[in-house]
Amino acid sequence: MRQVELHHGARSDVGLVREVNEDSFLASPPVFVVADGMGGHDGGDVASRIVVEEFARLADDGYEPGRGGDLVAATLRECQRRIAEYGEQQIAERQARGYAGTTLAAALLVDDGGPQWLLVNLGDSRIYRLIDDRLEQVSVDHSLVQELVDAGTISSEDAATHPERHVITRALGGPDPAEADYFLLPLPAVERLLLCSDGVSGMIDDDAIAAVLRDAEDPRDAADQLVERALAAGGRDNATAVVVDVVGWADVADYDSDRQRLSLEQKLGALP
Amino acid sequence: MTETTATRSYRPGQWFGIFGSHATVLLPPTEKDRVGRLWALVDDGAGFDVVLDALISEGLRDLPGFVLVSAEEEETKIVIRGEARAWFTTGDETVEVSGSQATTWAERSVAGVEASRLVVGAAEEGGELPLLPIAQGLVRVSEVLAPPVDPVPEGEPVPAPIPEPEPELVVEDDAPDTAPHPVVVDEATPAPDVAPSGSVGPEPDLPPSPPSPPFGVPSGPPPAVPAPVTPPVEHDGLTRAGTSEESPAGPPTPPFVTRPVARLVFSSGDDVEVDRAVLVGRAPEARRFTTGDQPTLVAVPSPAQEISSTHLEIRPGSGADHGSAVATDLGSTNGTVVVQPGLPPEDLRPGIAVQLVPGAIIDLGDGVTIQVINP
Repeated sequence: MRQVELHHGARSDVGLVREVNEDSFLASPPVFVVADGMGGHDGGDVASRIVVEEFARLADDGYEPGRGGDLVAATLRECQRRIAEYGEQQIAERQARGYAGTTLAAALLVDDGGPQWLLVNLGDSRIYRLIDDRLEQVSVDHSLVQELVDAGTISSEDAATHPERHVITRALGGPDPAEADYFLLPLPAVERLLLCSDGVSGMIDDDAIAAVLRDAEDPRDAADQLVERALAAGGRDNATAVVVDVVGWADVADYDSDRQRLSLEQKLGALP
Repeated sequence: MTETTATRSYRPGQWFGIFGSHATVLLPPTEKDRVGRLWALVDDGAGFDVVLDALISEGLRDLPGFVLVSAEEEETKIVIRGEARAWFTTGDETVEVSGSQATTWAERSVAGVEASRLVVGAAEEGGELPLLPIAQGLVRVSEVLAPPVDPVPEGEPVPAPIPEPEPELVVEDDAPDTAPHPVVVDEATPAPDVAPSGSVGPEPDLPPSPPSPPFGVPSGPPPAVPAPVTPPVEHDGLTRAGTSEESPAGPPTPPFVTRPVARLVFSSGDDVEVDRAVLVGRAPEARRFTTGDQPTLVAVPSPAQEISSTHLEIRPGSGADHGSAVATDLGSTNGTVVVQPGLPPEDLRPGIAVQLVPGAIIDLGDGVTIQVINP
């Protein structure tokens, strides 16, 4: 996995209306996370911070790309446990009016016969990719409006202005664990990856996001510009963007290196 | 891994007895066709629900009788249909369950079972044949007793533990030679791999989640799950939680996939075991899968771009295809051709799974073929 070189940029802003930034993010290659907390009082920012802490632990404790899927599942279970515990404690102390919870958009490099992107999604924080200058939303929101769109009740244009557009149907935390959606993309299928909270994707449309991701060469500029545009568009929610570029990738398959070693040893007479 | 201690005794007979680590199934002599499929499930350690699903998957009408017994922790569940009876002893009480009195089936759940006796088929069928011990396997039976008893050839069975564990316990070696052998024996049945290793095993928390619970401050439609919250108040965040109107239904959980059902040898050099879904294509992608269900991606070269980016899925089959690999064309641009041994080439229809026989060749185009062989 060391042969994959990643560049990234990240920016988070409280926005123009809110007093607390309940978004958290992590950019610790090869682990990237955006979490959008919720749950009244100060529960939301604690929930999203727990997610970032747990994924940071995953990244720091000698992350093994070969076990990426299992490690992520274990990390999510631990996040769920800690957030639920915190929420119950808050309710018991009458500090909170409801369960704390958080969305999750995560991207990790995993290794299964070669490096791949493992993407994980819960809630309405989004994962986009740029490929051949086209923007594609990879994750599918766990939200009420997404369900209405899927059912054909409303169009995706209506979804952007629907009064219930902030209602999500799955999150980390709360009384019952929710099932995350996982995605696996080959490395070459992603030129640039964007993880963002709905303070970005809800304030500016996909065309604007695509334009920034296409035009800003440096991923740090891309993340800054996305958040600035979201603020310029009203900044009604916390806005967070993490942009990741794959800048170098040496494709050394074990298969080939094994064969090369064998053939070398054969030439040297070490093997029959 | 082989179980060397008998867990039951049986008397030879006409019915099929399928004994696994978690379930026992008895089927009438007419149901030979079902036995193979159920054996695969039961031997893999399937429990009550999975086996019952498989038993009745084609309806009840063509299934004249069966017995399904499964003990989970303290509780023994039994379902009986047709010409079969069962007795369960708990403490000083004996519960009888009979299939012949029920129009569909008789179902019972008994806690703390100490001994059980199952009798199937015509009463005298087993006659005076000796009782034989069994742990796991597939045999012809007329009567099954648990715990196992001493192999005395006659008399009322007295429940008693086997004095010494037998080394090869599927068939008793020192049983009287007069014992006829209408007995199908699966020698050295490997115990099912109870601990699925790696990421292939179904996670304990895999069953589809119920509709999502509310988070934060509930609003809009009343939440399905009552949460201990005070009346809804606006909070300072925009993101709120709601109740899903649909159940976030994950894909069906594959039944007990613990070992590969096939191996795929790619003309491009890859060699992959089918112990989970395998996605093949020019640049394959996997979308919206759940924990523990992570597929294998196999990229194949396609200089002429004849192969679609995610072209074909090969996964362990379920239901009638259990134990085999099945292939599904995922709506590829140029299609997929399968040549099964002894059959003419067949175009896969997009989205329709086709069972793969060992020896099958799959042609993806651009000179890329996949050979299907036994694992």
